[in-house]
Amino acid sequence: MIAISEITKSYGNGDGKTQVLKGITMQINEGDFVVVLGASGSGKSTFLNVISGLERPDSGSVTYGSLEITKLSDSKLTRFRKDNIGFIFQQYYLLQNMTVEKNVRMGAELADNGDYREIITAVGLEDKSKKYPSELSGGEQQRVSVARALAKKPKVLFLDEPTGALDEETGRQVLDYICKLHKEYGFTIVMVTHNQNIAEMANTVVKMNSGKISEISVNKVRKTAYEIGW
Amino acid sequence: MVVGMKDALKLIGISIIACCAVFVCTLFLNYNIDITAMKNEITAAGGVEMYNAIVSTGKVVAAVSGGCLAVTSVIMLMFYVKNYIDTHGKELGILKALGYSDFKIAKHFWVFGLSVFVGCALGYAAAFLYLPSFYELQNAEHLFPEIKVQFHPFLAFLLVVVPAISFAALAVIYACFRLKTPVLDLLKEKREYKAKLSKKETKDMPFLKELTRSTVRGIKSLVFFIAFSAFCFSDMVQMSMSMKDLSSETMAIMIMMIGLILAFMTLFLSLSSVVKANTKTIAMMRVFGYQHSDCSKAVLGGYRPVSYIGFAVGTAYQYFLLRIMVDIVFADVENVPEYNFDFTACAISLVLFIITYELFMYIYSQRIKKLSIKSVMLE
Ligand SMILES: Nc1ncnc2c1ncn2[C@@H]1O[C@H](COP(=O)(O)OP(=O)(O)OP(=O)(O)O)[C@@H](O)[C@H]1O
Ligand SMILES: [Mg+2]
Repeated sequence: MIAISEITKSYGNGDGKTQVLKGITMQINEGDFVVVLGASGSGKSTFLNVISGLERPDSGSVTYGSLEITKLSDSKLTRFRKDNIGFIFQQYYLLQNMTVEKNVRMGAELADNGDYREIITAVGLEDKSKKYPSELSGGEQQRVSVARALAKKPKVLFLDEPTGALDEETGRQVLDYICKLHKEYGFTIVMVTHNQNIAEMANTVVKMNSGKISEISVNKVRKTAYEIGW
Repeated sequence: MVVGMKDALKLIGISIIACCAVFVCTLFLNYNIDITAMKNEITAAGGVEMYNAIVSTGKVVAAVSGGCLAVTSVIMLMFYVKNYIDTHGKELGILKALGYSDFKIAKHFWVFGLSVFVGCALGYAAAFLYLPSFYELQNAEHLFPEIKVQFHPFLAFLLVVVPAISFAALAVIYACFRLKTPVLDLLKEKREYKAKLSKKETKDMPFLKELTRSTVRGIKSLVFFIAFSAFCFSDMVQMSMSMKDLSSETMAIMIMMIGLILAFMTLFLSLSSVVKANTKTIAMMRVFGYQHSDCSKAVLGGYRPVSYIGFAVGTAYQYFLLRIMVDIVFADVENVPEYNFDFTACAISLVLFIITYELFMYIYSQRIKKLSIKSVMLE
């Protein structure tokens, strides 16, 4: 379980100081599928970066089980990410000078995962594994980044607008792969998006409004990637 | 304007190299011209042999150092142009997409010639300030009549104007050549990754090893610069230590200074480029949980063998150069001390080299540590 307590975060100083997170408290259960919704600039990405240990909050705490990650040193925090966290970003951030296979291997080696080829197959890229990212379409690149994140067998997967740069069809396809793998491996998902429809795929929907949580709801019925609107 | 004065400022490495090259060449060539004019007045015993030796030394030194430095500046210039086009692919691609011709964009790259001009002019001026003492130094044994420093406009033209114009032209031509890339590849910032080996070989290579390999292979000119930096260090420092006996102390100090400036300049520039070219990779690795030491090792470690090779080549090079000087150029001159390979000098410079090199690596690995993950992702 991830316990998030009273986190605040601001950028800049003096007159230019803006408070982005204004005291956020919530809990995320193991295996849950959480979608964070909110307008642009409401602090979703910042929230995601703080709870995943990429950034430190100004105050408040984030605790995984009994481990308070906000208290860890930099190298311990890195180690924590290595053992627990996977990331998928809107811009993919693949390593341009390496093939698909090597990109996935970057994740796999952190978990001593020898079966990374299985995951390349699972996202339907086995025939592209020798290609470089610049030779792939956006959807294919995002699938590489899904494979890279899952190859390290994360306990929690964080996604920041994973379909933001994709069209409807490839967007659904990527979400479908993510859902399937979620069922299979049972990790926790926290996904940030401003597409309201995607929220229907989640268990828990968190709405953010200028740095605060305005509503948390639970979906009784979950839709698949091909049932939601776009 | 595509390329501004600010970009030309970034070529300070080339300016410094040009400055050193012109400095050395001006000293020796100016002296050679002036002493050649006085050839008939040399009467002292042993004077003619000394004259011949000094004139040949001047030619050799000017040709070797000038040539080496010119080649380095050419490679460095091409590196800058290529790097500029690679990193500004989007802007340049859009200009091309709008219909600007390659040449129309490339011609702005002439400003890079300015950096060469500034370097050459400074080198020339510095040499002129130093020439009187240099003339005295060359004639320490008073074998020649007193020579006055003369200004030779042709030499100034050759060492300042010609390099500046040729480098400006080279920058434009090379930029034109580089811009021939299709618009879409520029926009996608698609670089060439030709470094693919046979698939069998890389297939089972661990990621970190592969990263080291592809970093080193990715930008070939950086390999040259890092090797060159080690080469300069080993070559010039050892030569300077051995030269103390063969020639004057001032010469030894001058050579040492030029060697150190060149070595540090190129190492500094190359390592900054390595880190810059890999910031995104490093940031992503940190996000995924690779420790900072793994990132530094993977990104910087591959250059260590390169620099040791550079050091070894530099050692051999300076030995043969001095050997030739002593055996051929100074063959007829009396009282030239015996020259043998100087093991102490070699050992001392190797130790100094290892210390400075590792210090540089440490500084840059700290720099990698300070890279903020978020700032890279916001770009
Ligand atoms: N490093 C930073 N320095 C200064 N301000 C920042 C920084 N990062 C984010 N901000 C500011 O914090 C606010 C929230 O940013 P954040 O990226 O969390 O929003 P978001 O909800 O993810 O928006 P979007 O949907 O557009 O991605 C914004 O107003 C942004 O300008
Ligand atoms: Mg965002």
